[in-house]
Amino acid sequence: MPTMTSMKSVGTAAPAAPKELSLHEHTLEIVSDAGEGAQKCGQVFGAVSAKMGNGVWTVEIIPAEIQPPARVPEGASGFRIRIGDGPITNWGDATNLVVAFNEQVLLARHRVDALANDAVLLVEDRWATHDDPEIRTAWEHGMDELSGKDYRIIPVPMEELCLTLVDDPKKGKNMFVLGMLACIYARDVSRIQEQIAQTFRKKSVEVYERNVALMQLGWDWADEHIDFRIHVPVQVIDRELVVMNGNEALGLGAIASGMELCAMYPITPATSVSHYLSEVFEKFGGMVHQAEDEIAAVGVAIGASYAGKVAFTITSGPGLALKTEFLGLAVMTETPLVLVNVQRGGPSTGLPTKVEQSDLLAALFASPGDAPHVVMAPATIEECFHVMITARRIAEAFRTVVMVLSDTNLATGVTPFPRPKPDARWQAEPLDLSPVPEGQKPYAWDPETGLSRRVIPGRPGGMFTLTGLSHDEGSKVAYSSGIHQKSSAMRSRKLAVLSSLLEPPTPYGEEKGDLLIVGWGSTKGAIEEAVDRARADGMKVSALHLRFLSPLEPGLKTIFKRFKKVITVEINYSDEIGDPHITEENRRRGQLAMLLRAATLVDVDCWTRVPGEPLRPGAILGAIRGRMPRRGAQ
Amino acid sequence: MLSDPRLQQALVALAQPIAEFRAIIDDAISQADAFITAQHASAPQRAEHAAVSLGHFADGRIDAAGFAARFPPVAAASPSAIAALEQALRVFRDVRERGDDIFVVDVPPGRRLGVELDHALATIGSVFGAVVLAEVVRGGRYTPEHARLLQSREFRSWNKTERRFAPPLVVLVNGADLQSGAIMDFVDGREKIVLVVCGASPPAPLARCITPGTFVLQTVDGSGLDRMAAFNGPAVAAIVPTGAAVFMHDPLGGKDPWQRMTINFIPVTPKKSIGGQSIWQMSEDLQVIAELAATPFSIPALGNGSAAPAAGAADAAEKIAAWLVGQAGLQDGAA
Amino acid sequence: MTMSCGLPILDHDNDEREYEISDYEGARARWCPGCGDHSILASVQKLLTNEQLVPEQTVFVSGIGCSSRFPHYLKTYGFHGIHGRALPVATGIRLHRPDLTVFVVMGDGDCTSIGAGHWIHALRYNLDIVVMLLDNGIYGLTKNQTSPTTPQGFPTNTQPHGSLLPPLNPLQVALGVTNASFVAQTAEWAPAHLYATLRAAYRHHGLSFVRILQRCPIYASAVYQKAVSDPARIALLVHDDGVVVPDLNKIYTTQLLHDPHDIDAARRLADDADHTNLGVFFLDPSRPCYEETRRVQPRTVNERLALIDAELDRYAV
Repeated sequence: MPTMTSMKSVGTAAPAAPKELSLHEHTLEIVSDAGEGAQKCGQVFGAVSAKMGNGVWTVEIIPAEIQPPARVPEGASGFRIRIGDGPITNWGDATNLVVAFNEQVLLARHRVDALANDAVLLVEDRWATHDDPEIRTAWEHGMDELSGKDYRIIPVPMEELCLTLVDDPKKGKNMFVLGMLACIYARDVSRIQEQIAQTFRKKSVEVYERNVALMQLGWDWADEHIDFRIHVPVQVIDRELVVMNGNEALGLGAIASGMELCAMYPITPATSVSHYLSEVFEKFGGMVHQAEDEIAAVGVAIGASYAGKVAFTITSGPGLALKTEFLGLAVMTETPLVLVNVQRGGPSTGLPTKVEQSDLLAALFASPGDAPHVVMAPATIEECFHVMITARRIAEAFRTVVMVLSDTNLATGVTPFPRPKPDARWQAEPLDLSPVPEGQKPYAWDPETGLSRRVIPGRPGGMFTLTGLSHDEGSKVAYSSGIHQKSSAMRSRKLAVLSSLLEPPTPYGEEKGDLLIVGWGSTKGAIEEAVDRARADGMKVSALHLRFLSPLEPGLKTIFKRFKKVITVEINYSDEIGDPHITEENRRRGQLAMLLRAATLVDVDCWTRVPGEPLRPGAILGAIRGRMPRRGAQ
Repeated sequence: MLSDPRLQQALVALAQPIAEFRAIIDDAISQADAFITAQHASAPQRAEHAAVSLGHFADGRIDAAGFAARFPPVAAASPSAIAALEQALRVFRDVRERGDDIFVVDVPPGRRLGVELDHALATIGSVFGAVVLAEVVRGGRYTPEHARLLQSREFRSWNKTERRFAPPLVVLVNGADLQSGAIMDFVDGREKIVLVVCGASPPAPLARCITPGTFVLQTVDGSGLDRMAAFNGPAVAAIVPTGAAVFMHDPLGGKDPWQRMTINFIPVTPKKSIGGQSIWQMSEDLQVIAELAATPFSIPALGNGSAAPAAGAADAAEKIAAWLVGQAGLQDGAA
Repeated sequence: MTMSCGLPILDHDNDEREYEISDYEGARARWCPGCGDHSILASVQKLLTNEQLVPEQTVFVSGIGCSSRFPHYLKTYGFHGIHGRALPVATGIRLHRPDLTVFVVMGDGDCTSIGAGHWIHALRYNLDIVVMLLDNGIYGLTKNQTSPTTPQGFPTNTQPHGSLLPPLNPLQVALGVTNASFVAQTAEWAPAHLYATLRAAYRHHGLSFVRILQRCPIYASAVYQKAVSDPARIALLVHDDGVVVPDLNKIYTTQLLHDPHDIDAARRLADDADHTNLGVFFLDPSRPCYEETRRVQPRTVNERLALIDAELDRYAV
């Protein structure tokens, strides 16, 4: 049964010294109707926590519609913050504390199982006594529904108190909540004031002061009425950090790599990269070109790249589908191209705002015909920055397409990471317009590696026509089978050469053991946290996280053989043995599992889920327990 | 004169073409540097370079030494070619170190504007020669004869492409020394010239620069310089003292002169000559801009005896020229 | 110019070089004998020679189809891409390399069918490029299928009882697009007019869209037969700002004085049921070009490094 603490009893009987809970990590959420400022409040809380030295991972809770009606579960808009005494690598498990502006948005979180069984819920209480009987009824029904869990519900007179300072509580509640949380979590008030000043820097002093007063009001209320405090120890920050989401990191990484064009068409969740770049790119001498469609976007990038600039295009699943013909052309003409796919749930329009890793095979085999290209996946927000530098370099050196697979989890997650130190050598070299040496061909394939130097327009003596038709070294259209065999080999060989330059990956945990979890992309933090917990429980589990999916990192079979069992953990769909009609033979496995089985002939199992949200470490730990090989089994 | 605030104003307005010219030099420097470095680099140095260029995502994942070996530097160059490239580098660095100075021409009173412009552009022309030299060395085609490319080159010997990439110039000049004929030789390609006119100025010194494809601006406060800088063709502007004519001739305005001309102010003809300009000349210059701007309804019929533009003449320039000749004839008749 | 693009050099050894037709000749053209494309190739080579375009600074971009083999037959840079997508590629080239002269060659399937979306938007971007639509009213390379410009009732392999719909009028489409700046029509069987039109297109500042009526002798020889055999069915649009070809006065006696700045008249003439009108329908060189709208101040490597550091400051904890 939930503990329903009435306002009055808290008001009169608050303990002199609140109970202090010291924790390694903790997750809280602020949820409201859209437009009530829960996200801003959460952002300030997250930023201040990071500055104080907590590990932080934040995620926005986004309603499916732009302007959903008030007080409906589907309209829940908010912010989720996980803080820790060390680096936080993922969004964590269930939420420990929620501040809700109404019971309907709270119900939304309850219904998706976002909240821990013993979560503390701080809820605006005005709805209980609202003039509208329907609202009062809804509140009562809501409370009934919540009573199924051991939540501790604390009503908060947010609006009532805010009205003492402002006329429109819609524009103040979030600051009140911020103050309340600052008190509970002992956040540094001067840093909060700094952030408020930053937020309202374009407004008047009065606006700033009013918001600080609201924050103080919330603090005072919590100080008087809340009987617990949460203490997550901070660490001294000994190096410079930056904090951003994965899409901003991708955009900034593209700039740092010297790219000058992002050709795109709006698509969720990739678009925010172009929002960011549209704001700053021209300052750097670059530009965002919003093309008329996904196909044109990649075509413009290929044109720019053919003309000597390395350009990139950014999209999500449905856009990738449209770009595949051009992708084949870039492979065939050996025109460097970086294609970023911020994955979302599919197929079709699927889950536009939710995370999934179901584009792996589509990315690998994106173009009809044999179109070998590179596929890489950053595993952290920090890697979203650095991957763009590597992607551009490889695309140019190998004259090929490099696809970068990010996902919604990385795109919308925010976490601090060590501040990159940009280097001039990360950037693309200026155009080479020197005369083409006598006799050089447009595809002067090194017969051993398939590598050749590209010739860009403007170079005297290099007037070649590149073509998507099968061709020989001289770009002469192939009319014989021998030429197609050879040119196919040359394009394929480049991947083998890259593969030969890759170092074998190192498992996280130990080199051998009972179970090896293999992952890729944004699941790294959650998998490794689950492995840590399992190892603490004495299980012999390790994890292996892949960044290169094409070509695959070398030495996998050797590593796999050191474990009794290998499974992949992925956010894509796979059949479960035991489900109707599913057998070992017809089971469709996770996409990485399929790939690894084909590449290593090891019987790789998988545990995959498509919950429309990042995997929780606790859930992965459950999977580890369920898939541990029995003692003595081989 | 160099402290004239209008000089800064002109440089700010020309920031885009200045940046474009600088980018050419900087690209050339970094390419020449990289080429020379690669010639001498040891295997470990090349591996280090590869490691950095691959970025941190590749740390521990890509064998940088192997990568460097797979992508060897371009073909070796002879010592004489390297020496020539180093000379070209000195030209680039010298120009780069001079900052904005290379874009500013200060014409001492009494000196000939055309000679000073020629001199300034010839120095800049050596950059183009050095760029070509660097390209030739990197392309493995260097022969000792190419050394001549580093000599300064007069503007008239620049080719079409070089003219398109000519840097802008800001010219500080006394009104008395302002000969529009001297400017016309340099208005070509995408050349942009801004004259900062000091002292007494003729009222319409740029009137004779107006041709259908040339952007011509006279301004007192600098307005219009942004449009001039953005114009994709030859352009000349003068920041004139208060009292001179204020007008803009924008070739994108339309096909007829009156569509292209915007006049904000036309003064009365000065009472005495300025520099070498007679009252009659100055009066005629003012007349020219006024008539170019006149709407078709008030454009007088072509003068007696002057031939109408041939029907079917494709080149608008010829028509305007013919019309101007007609106008001049009319003036003569009236005088 | 959008950004640093190096200096297009400039082989000074060739500085004073006079380019001849043979300097622009690529592989031997493999179109069918009698194909109108041969005549267009000849006119283009003449244009390149007369305008002395530097071969290494000229790029021909094409899609897929008979006409799209065009770049292979020239000795300039060329990019022979995929069906319908020549314009996006050309956009990327021109946007980043304003020092290059860009020509686009498309067929009617390329331009008006599979690539119609790009066509409309390219007209709107109005980059300074020359776009040639080689319109033979049929799919030739894939062997005789109906195209959007196939005359109604004309039988093909896909519509054997005759093309079902009235043909699409590319001129009307182009003239309907906001910011289109040059729309012309010419015919390969009138080489003097073809050349004059291409020259006007090349000299125009902005995207010059030229529909070239072109005969396919194998599958659709009938499409333009009446216009070819009866010059009275053709009217030349003449104007000092458009195209005037005095040599043709004797053959084409129907000449209409048309001011190409008049968009309404242009639209009426594009829909002329009595005549096939050849000439410049519309032009407006003052319309903004996308590469100029998007012109960005170039940054050097070191400037960029300093800016990235400043940008990271915004995200510093």
